[in-house]
Amino acid sequence: MKDSVIALLILLPSVLLVGYFVYASIGWNVIVSLSNWEGLEPSYTIVGFRRYVELFYDPVFWISLKNNLLLILLFVPSSILLGLFLAILLDMKVRAEGVFRTIYLLPFALSFVITASLWAWMYDPKVGVINILLEKVGLGFLQSGWVTDSSIAMYCVILALTWQFSGYTMLIFLAGIRSIPESQVMAAEVDGAYGFSLYRRIIIPQLKFSSLAAFVILMVFALKGFDFIYVLTGGGPGGWSTFVLPLEMFRETFTMTHFAYGAAIATVLFVIVMVIVVPYLYMSSRRREE
Amino acid sequence: MKFPRPRRILLYVLLILFAFAYLLPFWTCITTSFKTEKAVIETVPVQPASPTLEPWMEALDIMGRPLLNSLTFTLFATIFSCFIGSINGYVLSKIRFKGSDIIFLFFSIGIFIPYQTVLIPLVLTISRLGLYNSIEGLILTHTAYGIPICTLLFRNFYKDVPDSLIMAAKTDGAGTLTIYRRILLPLSSAPFVVAGVFQFTSIWNDFLFGLVLARGSEALPASVALANLRGTTTAFWNVQMAGALWYALPVIIVYLILGKYLMSGYMAGAVKG
Repeated sequence: MKDSVIALLILLPSVLLVGYFVYASIGWNVIVSLSNWEGLEPSYTIVGFRRYVELFYDPVFWISLKNNLLLILLFVPSSILLGLFLAILLDMKVRAEGVFRTIYLLPFALSFVITASLWAWMYDPKVGVINILLEKVGLGFLQSGWVTDSSIAMYCVILALTWQFSGYTMLIFLAGIRSIPESQVMAAEVDGAYGFSLYRRIIIPQLKFSSLAAFVILMVFALKGFDFIYVLTGGGPGGWSTFVLPLEMFRETFTMTHFAYGAAIATVLFVIVMVIVVPYLYMSSRRREE
Repeated sequence: MKFPRPRRILLYVLLILFAFAYLLPFWTCITTSFKTEKAVIETVPVQPASPTLEPWMEALDIMGRPLLNSLTFTLFATIFSCFIGSINGYVLSKIRFKGSDIIFLFFSIGIFIPYQTVLIPLVLTISRLGLYNSIEGLILTHTAYGIPICTLLFRNFYKDVPDSLIMAAKTDGAGTLTIYRRILLPLSSAPFVVAGVFQFTSIWNDFLFGLVLARGSEALPASVALANLRGTTTAFWNVQMAGALWYALPVIIVYLILGKYLMSGYMAGAVKG
């Protein structure tokens, strides 16, 4: 048998599985979004783009979209800046670097259900660490309801997610810094670049691709992240104050059984994510070929 | 980068302060998990007090079966997706044939899709196969969605294996599968650890698939059981924290022993999750 025939035979089961569970399923979801399926009995009568139009008039959709944007505008840059800062600190020939790196990255290795449980406990207004410690150090006036206060709950989510993801961005930047040739850094040092100015002038400008990777990864998470918010706040308090598109999709589909509408939200989410991911995939494959 | 002494002291002070900040949630979680309900209310969260194993036992009563469920489907799906990814990676990196780049792209895009987009079809498919609320259903799901990332990890590794090795075996008359078994597989312990650790932690940590594919105790994953624990009023903070630690334990052990490999998986597996 020819090699190429054997190759295709080996790949066939995977292509079928991925073809079905990824591609056919995306198409199926689009069909559901164009149907009039409500309730537990599937219905595939096509009614067109009605559900997508309804999205425009749904206040919860806009609240969710606004919170997704808030994540992109605050959680993404804060994780990137903190990660970059930690990477620079760790690059300074630190003793026990591995220990610090392991500590900073630990939250990222764990399930969102765990980290959300930990932060629910930290934020508990009555017996949680944050309020109690604030009182102990004489800053009792800063006490707050945290995730139970709808005006700041979203910021509490952002703080906790920054804690979880900054170790990951640190890892990306550290790898980026380490891939810069030693000779360049030494040449700059000979020229008198020193300390933080060395980083500003020589190293950070060369982290373009690391930054791009970190931006894309965090933005995609900011759009599709579901578990953490679902477990920490369930989208509340006050109804929708921490709702994001994945939560809205889940509620409409599995709680309200508005399957067509849930599928429409999922399709919108898919399009937004692909608009970010496809150019990135293209650029990174070009970069690999260079 | 070397700094003079006073600046180096400042550097370590900063690093240690950050380490405290990152560890604080874990520390209060651990102290709370060993406290009685009364001690949780009356003592400062960061301070250990009147240690008891009661919350751990109570949490294990609720989480025991789900932890076994998670362990079962995670191990099987990890093994399946790694082996499939390995042979795919071999074919896509070492055999030249028309369409190989397109098939690779076809897999790559599967890594990046938001799972919400396939959730409704997935639930329908698994139900129609009679696998709703079953370990087999979760194994099938995690294997299918694990194939793209595993294929990518193995392909990137096999790309760097010299072609001359393959050529030499070929001239000796070895077939496609023999080359994989005799030459690539024995070289593959590193990528198997990387992909294995990556898959183990992602599948173990999964919540969304478990939430929509399992209801009763027969297949309930530990992630969903822990989230349910948060929803109840009966489980107080000490039990919830003990439950979180039971569920975290396997990943923490893997992370502490094989963290290096997990990190290279993270670097390669970028946008997945």
